[in-house]
Amino acid sequence: MSEERIRRDPRAEREARRGRAPQAEDIPTPVAAEASPSGRVRRDPRAERAARTSRAAEPATAAQPAAAPESESGRVRRDPRAERASRTGRAAPAAPQPAAPAPAPSGRVRRDPRADRTAQRQAGVARAETASPVKTIADPKFLILAVPDLEDARLSSHDKDVIGAARGLADAGGGAVVVLAFTGPEGVKDGLDEAGADRALRFADVSFAGYAPERRAAAVLAAIQALNPRHILFPDTGVVGGDVGRRVAVSLGDRVASNVQRVAPDRITRRGRGGRADFALAPPRVLLIAAEAADPVIDERYEARDLPAPRIEALSHVEDRGLAATDPATVPMAEADFIVSAGNGVRDWDAFHRVAAALGASEGGSRPVCDAGHLPRHRQVGASGTLVEPRCYVALGIAGAPQHLQGISKVERVVAVNADAHCDMVKRADLAVVGDVQALMPALERIAKERRHGN
Amino acid sequence: MILLQGLIGICVAVGAACALWRARRWFRGRPAKVDFLRGLLRFPQSYFVDLHHIVARDPYTARMHVMVAGGFTAAFLLTLAVHLFDIDSRGLAWLLLAFLVLMGAGAAFVALRRRPKPARLSAGGFSRLPWSLFAFAAAFFLATLPKAGLVAPFAAFSVPGIVVLVLAAWGCAEMVAFLPLGPMKHSFAGAMHLICHPRFQRLGAARPDSGLKPLDLELPKLGVEAPSDFKWNQLLGFDACVQCGRCEVVCPAFAAELPLNPKKLIQDLARAVDPGASDAAYAGSPYPGRPVGQAHGGPSRPIIGDDAMIHPDTLWSCTTCRACVQECPMMIEHVDAIVDLRRFQALEKGAVPGKAPLVLAELRATDTQCGAALASRLDWAADLSLPLISAKGECDVLLWLGEGAFDLRNQRTLRALVRLMRHAKIDFAVLGEEELDTGDLARRLGDEATFQDLAKRNAATLAKYRFRRIVTADPHVFHSLRNEYPAFGARHEVMHHTMLLDELVSQGALPKGKSSAGKTTYHDPCYLGRYNGEIRAPRAVLDAIGVERVEMERSGMRSMCCGGGGGAPVTDIAGKKRIPDVRMEQARETGAAVVAVACPNCAVMLEGVVGPRPEVVDVAELLLQAVEAA
Amino acid sequence: MAIDVVVLVSIGRHPVSGRARRADADARAVELALGIAGAHVQLVHAGDPDEPALRDYLGMGANAVTVLRMGPEADPVSVLSAHLSSTKPQIVLAGTRAEGGEDSGLVPYLVAQALNTPLVPGIVSLSLVGERAEMLQGLPRGRRRSLVSPVPLVATVPVMAPAPRMSAFGLARRGTIAVKDADAAADAARTAWTEGPARRRPKRIKVMKAASAADRVRAVTEMAAGKGKVLQNVPPEEAAKAIFDYLVTEGIIQAKP
Repeated sequence: MSEERIRRDPRAEREARRGRAPQAEDIPTPVAAEASPSGRVRRDPRAERAARTSRAAEPATAAQPAAAPESESGRVRRDPRAERASRTGRAAPAAPQPAAPAPAPSGRVRRDPRADRTAQRQAGVARAETASPVKTIADPKFLILAVPDLEDARLSSHDKDVIGAARGLADAGGGAVVVLAFTGPEGVKDGLDEAGADRALRFADVSFAGYAPERRAAAVLAAIQALNPRHILFPDTGVVGGDVGRRVAVSLGDRVASNVQRVAPDRITRRGRGGRADFALAPPRVLLIAAEAADPVIDERYEARDLPAPRIEALSHVEDRGLAATDPATVPMAEADFIVSAGNGVRDWDAFHRVAAALGASEGGSRPVCDAGHLPRHRQVGASGTLVEPRCYVALGIAGAPQHLQGISKVERVVAVNADAHCDMVKRADLAVVGDVQALMPALERIAKERRHGN
Repeated sequence: MILLQGLIGICVAVGAACALWRARRWFRGRPAKVDFLRGLLRFPQSYFVDLHHIVARDPYTARMHVMVAGGFTAAFLLTLAVHLFDIDSRGLAWLLLAFLVLMGAGAAFVALRRRPKPARLSAGGFSRLPWSLFAFAAAFFLATLPKAGLVAPFAAFSVPGIVVLVLAAWGCAEMVAFLPLGPMKHSFAGAMHLICHPRFQRLGAARPDSGLKPLDLELPKLGVEAPSDFKWNQLLGFDACVQCGRCEVVCPAFAAELPLNPKKLIQDLARAVDPGASDAAYAGSPYPGRPVGQAHGGPSRPIIGDDAMIHPDTLWSCTTCRACVQECPMMIEHVDAIVDLRRFQALEKGAVPGKAPLVLAELRATDTQCGAALASRLDWAADLSLPLISAKGECDVLLWLGEGAFDLRNQRTLRALVRLMRHAKIDFAVLGEEELDTGDLARRLGDEATFQDLAKRNAATLAKYRFRRIVTADPHVFHSLRNEYPAFGARHEVMHHTMLLDELVSQGALPKGKSSAGKTTYHDPCYLGRYNGEIRAPRAVLDAIGVERVEMERSGMRSMCCGGGGGAPVTDIAGKKRIPDVRMEQARETGAAVVAVACPNCAVMLEGVVGPRPEVVDVAELLLQAVEAA
Repeated sequence: MAIDVVVLVSIGRHPVSGRARRADADARAVELALGIAGAHVQLVHAGDPDEPALRDYLGMGANAVTVLRMGPEADPVSVLSAHLSSTKPQIVLAGTRAEGGEDSGLVPYLVAQALNTPLVPGIVSLSLVGERAEMLQGLPRGRRRSLVSPVPLVATVPVMAPAPRMSAFGLARRGTIAVKDADAAADAARTAWTEGPARRRPKRIKVMKAASAADRVRAVTEMAAGKGKVLQNVPPEEAAKAIFDYLVTEGIIQAKP
């Protein structure tokens, strides 16, 4: 859609090529409306697509190539022509004021994997324009402690929801949010200030990394002793927040409210009976928050003033031998995070394996491909194979039989490459390339090898 | 000729001993009620009519068999008279000569048939058999010549005398003394099998006797683990196998190179009864992709296992399409044996492969295969406002929707059927939330407990209402309700939707229209055709709307499975090819533009074939299109 | 010497039909226990011994389940802790959370506290090497952490652990259910709760900022009608770049700075 939109909007494109980022008022009305930093979308892939395309493409096309031609080239979907233009130096270097966002927000946005990139980016742009002030709560009536998982030192969208829930509890009564962050030695890569922290309690010691639930629980208990927060909020995740939160509750001798769906100062809702019932109750001290139970803080900035972190003495009887090597090729399909999947359109299997390896993705395949023995049976995606839930599914040469689409019904991001513009997979995709799969695979592999690191 | 007399006498005695020796192994099985006298009295009809009908599907073999079997049986009896009891009659001698010539000619056909040996036939003892037949015929031909007065009698130790003795020794060893142990075993065990057949009512029945027998869930051991858990007459049946390979030729799993060959399966079951059993002596086609000679068993050892007689993949490759049963000239019940083995795996071990355990768990938890709410069975028909029988109390046709109501593809069929019934102003209703899965799938997967639970509850629901007949668009449901529910007290008239549509068309209850479908080939669902003998009605519907109908090479009662039966799609055993691909290739060969189907499983399996292929359309859809064009 | 492994099992509910059945995570814990070489596996349930769904666990091949009889809404922790303190198993396994009641997932933690043993959450495999348990902990996205702990210990098993075997009717029928009467206190705090059917949360399409009401309406309607971006007639190099950029933008992979 945004591709069409770009083609239909020659003026913005021309401007971009000339290197002049149009001011908001330059852009015709519909585009201007889309450029406005309207919020965030999740859980509805179509809505999300629409939101992203409508909001992301135009400002990106318009503003960013000029603003930061190289460093930002990777992060925004945009008109490739405009971008090429910017790289080849035809773009004028002078960046107008609105297109020069503060480095911090743009960096944050780029590195944040799961949060709503678009909304954040827009928020960043918008903030640069409006320069939202830092909110400070100097003398809070009470404290709410939020303990995000911070896996890979990043705030997940779930983490942000939890801080958002804490924000809600604090704001309802003049309290303040303390974020207790096990940051790792390199610190948090996202801004705790933008996530909604009034105070930050950082534990950077490496001894909190890896398997350290006892030490983390001890740290949280020490913080509770020092700060006496009204509530302690964790994301209800399997082996991090959910685990530490339960340990803390047991140590406090408190009940825990897990799988919390709604949060209010006097009443929370938690789910039980295998997901079939909601219980409403007065909130206990320890709350384990379900994903999306609260909205994250958007477009605001808090103080995130550092508090001194207490020293923690706690031993573990459990020895951590580190992460077992996980090869994306051996990750069970049902757990795979990123799948590149092949269908009948793929003929060069070496190229397929190489591109999957270069992207660090797990391999999947359609039924006919597995039937033909090109991939083992356990790699089959679909109703008769595995139902998969990766964060992203790249379908190469898969037309999208109903049984196959059933297997990816829960996938949020689908990229399709297919020769047939009218096939169901292209309709299902968030990004579709109509063209020759064989030609694309080596090109994608080349780019991945050039530009990818880690992961 | 005292030597020849002695030889015959000894061979007959040894033969009787060997027969008893062989029969002993059958009695390692469990007891079974057998009406021996009834079987014996019916034997001539069972043999000359029922069995011959099957053999006669291959005319060459039928002629060959009539010559050899008829020639030998008559010649042997006459030999006893002429040579053992030394009855001096030229007439008898001449008659004997004639039958020996017939037998010799038959032996020539036996030899010719194996030259070159078709893949479906076994080597081993069977390679020797034509020569043994010749030896027998030649020996007694020579020995009878003097008795017929054609040559002068010759001395025992003359050249011809010794030739006669040597040939007679060979022939009698194969055909008399060791008959119950060698390739001729099939004659002895086969005759006994016809007399003691485990599905005796099948003989001479008007329509296939195909319903599975209920399993007593109170038994200490459920299903068959070891050979000794089979009923004795089932073990007898396995022994009757003549290794003709007709089952192998028609087996869809074998054709798609899944690791199943019904012939080897029966041979392995026959061999497994012996202590220290092995399949090393098996000389036919192996299970595709698996070597011969690795399997071991014994009368009390588990039959199914990675290194047992039968690999689990073999057991679960079967689609229960019954093509092997249909073709078997010895009337062996392959599918019963497979389900008995599956019952043990499912009920006692919980060892069911693939996604089958999930489907069975959903069946137990929700009474549907897909784990949907019962109330959502009517979701697709929200705009059709189907009448509920709970509201009406009674109706003419009770429409049983089946699991297909949850499948997008089959909802189109159901929609067409409903519209046709409305065109014909049929008073119908559905059970709605009260309809549970029939349990058919659970039963084929060996989970008899889940099947019986569902069957009893469905039977109780059906007993509440008054209706004239049940109609369903799913042949598996049709078979289950019609042939297997009566054992649970639900005796109703059940029709497949093509039967109802045929009735409506022939009664003129529907507007006469002409189909615009091109050349069409009809794919018989196994559970409608082979299981229930209904191959006419769907074709009659197609003919009535003027479809240009062509038949695939395999059709009607000898049609080939789509691969969707017996839980095969959920156990999902891999083969070199897929069964629906093989079947679709046969459809392509007819040049048809449309494959007409009459089963939700067939529709899904055949539509899953990729690449250019004929369109897959249900008979009801074709009829509706013609009716609405009228 | 056989290691005693106790699996705490609860009654699950099918999410659609609500029918009682084995709880998924608990069944995976039983599966994991049955796969430990040299383990003597016992199942313990606090609740109603006449619940037929208990037999689902017996059908997996465990010979017996010990039921500590108590009322439906009683607190199982003291009952389980007392039982386990007397039987002293080396390993206690439980699903990460039950499916029948509060589903707080707290019981294993309280039991570990009562037994004074370490608790290891979310394990997907366990093998015994001497007196130590070697485990793999399941992390999101297929990652696994290798952990070693002395026994005794309590560990929880998540739904990402290997699928439980099918419950066999014959085994379920033959297994025995041993009943011990337990003295469980009613859960007083629960009486203050109100319970209703689970309500689906509305889809999250909001958080509009700095935009007029008209913009919001437009944004929502455009979202509803939205389609993916389609690149046609684009050279492979550019298409590949667009895909790569998309993957980076969405945080699926990282590009070099």
